[in-house]
Amino acid sequence: MQTIVHPIRQLALVVAGFVAAIVLLESQGLASWADHLDIGPLRTVAVPVTAVIKKTLEPLGIGSVREHAIQALARVGWSDDAALLADASGTAPSPSLTKPAECSVPSLANASNPPSIPGSKPGSTASSTHASVPGTAAAFSNATGSLTPLLASVPRTTDLAPLPPIAPGKPRVVALAGDSMMAVGLSATLLRQAAGNKDLRMIKAFRSGTGLARPEVFNWMDEYPAMLGAEKPDVVIVAIGANDGQGFVVDGKVLPYGSEGWQKVYQDRLASYLAMVSSTGAHVVWVGLPPMRIAVYNQKIAAINRIAYTVVSQSPQATWWNPVSFVGDDSGGFREFATLPNGQSMRLRATDGIHFSDEGAGLLTNVLMKWLDPPPPISVAGASATTPTPDQVQPAKPKHKGRHASKG
Amino acid sequence: MLFPTVEYGLFFLSVLAIAWSLYRFPQVHKDFLLLASYVFYGFWNWTYLPLLIGISIFAGLVAQRIQRSQTTTAKKRWLIAGVVVCLAALGYYKYTSFLMTTLLQVWGRFAHPPHIQVYSPLLPLGISFFVFHAISLLGDCYRGKVKEPVQLRDALLYVAFFPQLIAGPILRASRFLPQLAVRRNPNHIRINRAFLLIVGGLFKKVILSNMLATRLVEPVFAVPQSYGAWDTLLAVYGYAAQIYCDFSGYTDIAIGCALLLGYRFPRNFNAPYTATDPQDFWRRWHISLSTWLRDYLYFPLGGSRSGKMRTYLNLMITMLLGGLWHGAAWTFVVWGGLHGSYLVVHRLWSRIGWAPLVRWRATATWRWISRILLFHAVCLGWVFFRSSTFSIAFDVFSRLRIPGPATLANGPVLLVLFLGLGSQFMPARWRNGFEVEMGRWPALARGAAVAVAIAAIEILGPTGVAPFIYFQF
Repeated sequence: MQTIVHPIRQLALVVAGFVAAIVLLESQGLASWADHLDIGPLRTVAVPVTAVIKKTLEPLGIGSVREHAIQALARVGWSDDAALLADASGTAPSPSLTKPAECSVPSLANASNPPSIPGSKPGSTASSTHASVPGTAAAFSNATGSLTPLLASVPRTTDLAPLPPIAPGKPRVVALAGDSMMAVGLSATLLRQAAGNKDLRMIKAFRSGTGLARPEVFNWMDEYPAMLGAEKPDVVIVAIGANDGQGFVVDGKVLPYGSEGWQKVYQDRLASYLAMVSSTGAHVVWVGLPPMRIAVYNQKIAAINRIAYTVVSQSPQATWWNPVSFVGDDSGGFREFATLPNGQSMRLRATDGIHFSDEGAGLLTNVLMKWLDPPPPISVAGASATTPTPDQVQPAKPKHKGRHASKG
Repeated sequence: MLFPTVEYGLFFLSVLAIAWSLYRFPQVHKDFLLLASYVFYGFWNWTYLPLLIGISIFAGLVAQRIQRSQTTTAKKRWLIAGVVVCLAALGYYKYTSFLMTTLLQVWGRFAHPPHIQVYSPLLPLGISFFVFHAISLLGDCYRGKVKEPVQLRDALLYVAFFPQLIAGPILRASRFLPQLAVRRNPNHIRINRAFLLIVGGLFKKVILSNMLATRLVEPVFAVPQSYGAWDTLLAVYGYAAQIYCDFSGYTDIAIGCALLLGYRFPRNFNAPYTATDPQDFWRRWHISLSTWLRDYLYFPLGGSRSGKMRTYLNLMITMLLGGLWHGAAWTFVVWGGLHGSYLVVHRLWSRIGWAPLVRWRATATWRWISRILLFHAVCLGWVFFRSSTFSIAFDVFSRLRIPGPATLANGPVLLVLFLGLGSQFMPARWRNGFEVEMGRWPALARGAAVAVAIAAIEILGPTGVAPFIYFQF
């Protein structure tokens, strides 16, 4: 006689079978998931629990079956993860890219560039208008271990030093790097503007949902060389940091966002990333993060900008570039729409209040494109009637043209 | 909380366990589900929770007033007041900047417009869906389709029930409130069907949709100028598959989760790309939305009761507004307008009574030709739907004429494209047969099979979670 199982009992058995099997099959995946969580109560519970499960089930070897399956899928082109593809196909990252070793002390300086006074580059005069206020600024350690003040403010405008002329038949190779601040708006606009331009070759080296704060989630030190392959960029345009306003764990210790330990480690990771993208001799334009709609998030972004500016300004190859002069309001705050001289409005930011809209990105990329591939000296019509210039969407403000050393 | 995440899995299993432990106490059971729904919504942004609760309470109270009103005039007044407030909320959050920029554009054609600082509130997640639920409640009460007096707590749960809260399917008050009025019956749990829906939905969303989006669609629609005809054509087909897999995958998961909790949701997609005419397409695509528009917009406008021209006008208005519902941009309106014109053309075509044509239309050959023609007409609309500007849409069209190899589609991408489109032609008896077969396995084995399937999806899927298209609505 067939036993009729109560439906709820049946459901409970199905769920029990599911939970048991998923824990068995995905012990490694669950541990990885827990590790990737933001710092918080869920992570506090999930990490030790999944670690125990993983350790207990490791002898079964299911995790290695999973890894082999992922590798096999990468070999047939299933994955779009550049580092995974490179590993699977046995291709090493470009030998011209030398990844700095993981830093436990800041590596702002290399052998030819000794630590410099914050805010100035060796052999150059100040390139921006800001005031460094050691008494009120947060600090980070320099190579000697002593604390160096974080620059208290960032310049509203920065000039881009002219690039050397493009040699005939040798296009300028430009890598577009970063997180979704590059992926959404900026990259598409740059790629569209550069389409068909034989003097420029653009390389995509960006990925949404990434950053520098959590290399265990997405490690740019591995991924960037894999994305470049054999390419050697002459210029790298970076827009990154929007996801970095979070704490992380280093050597088992939780470093809450904004703490001194957090700042030190984050600044190290930023410096390492900068050194990596500069290692081909490329000139780097580090596009700062624009002001954000949500006030709490905006404060985090402002702090990340200060760290980025402080690090980037130490490098003679890199320029920190503030987008606020293009998309911010008079006081440097968030502005979603701009009013054009003809009374029409233009959306500067996406509806999420974070990313650039295409038009907003266009204000930056118009300038970047002219810098990457300057128009010929014969007078042309200038910007099209439908493409407003930054001056047209900004109230007139005196620009502080800082003195700067030529980086050409 | 996104469906294809471990967080949602943990949340849902917890809710499932607690809900069924409380099913003998209907009111406590429903209050628990309501609380869980608010936790689910608040996980995204708790600051908009008062809006959700406010709209739900408002709709519930007005629905009660409609039911208690003695005269049709009084009922209508309450209905209009309720609908106006609901639409005002939706209009404010979703269409403020669109209306302001459009006003400036129109004004600018005649004179220099005054300085108006355009403003755009942050769009609450799922607002288009829960406002439509509120309006359905009001409409069904007005028409007398809700037979029993509306209980406010049931109205709250109807609007906010978490499996459908963010992206549908859009439930009808007249069909869902009766489910809430009775105690859950464990015999109504279709375990096998639910898990098949969930696993199938995850496969479509996490694997098919995501791969098509990242490897085929996004590169072409971001920079159309960089690609030739083959890449562009495959990207257009790819988007047709992507949006189907993304949205139907999500609603399949929603339907499966509701089924496990003992509630029946309506089917939302029924192999739409097998449709042979535009009317058939809209009986198969986003069924809960198309029937909502039919019942709460097309019929009140007069439907097909007032002659041919008025019918065509009503169709166009319904589809134009349906397009606008999808997004505050003229590209969505054009998409809606295209579908409205397809429906009008189909009606005109169907009216041709020439005998040879009538015979030809009944043949299998014509069915396949019309299927292919309709698919390409739908793809034409998808180009506008996907493009952020008209300029990009026209760039995409122009690239279809430029010879160029297929550089983006490798074997896996083509396989995924085939599965995304071809799976719709899979006979229903295969799915039903598998469900029956699954029913013969022991319960623990069924659970393990689901786990194996989800582990396979995890391995095949990308790192991270792809954005869900319909979340922006």
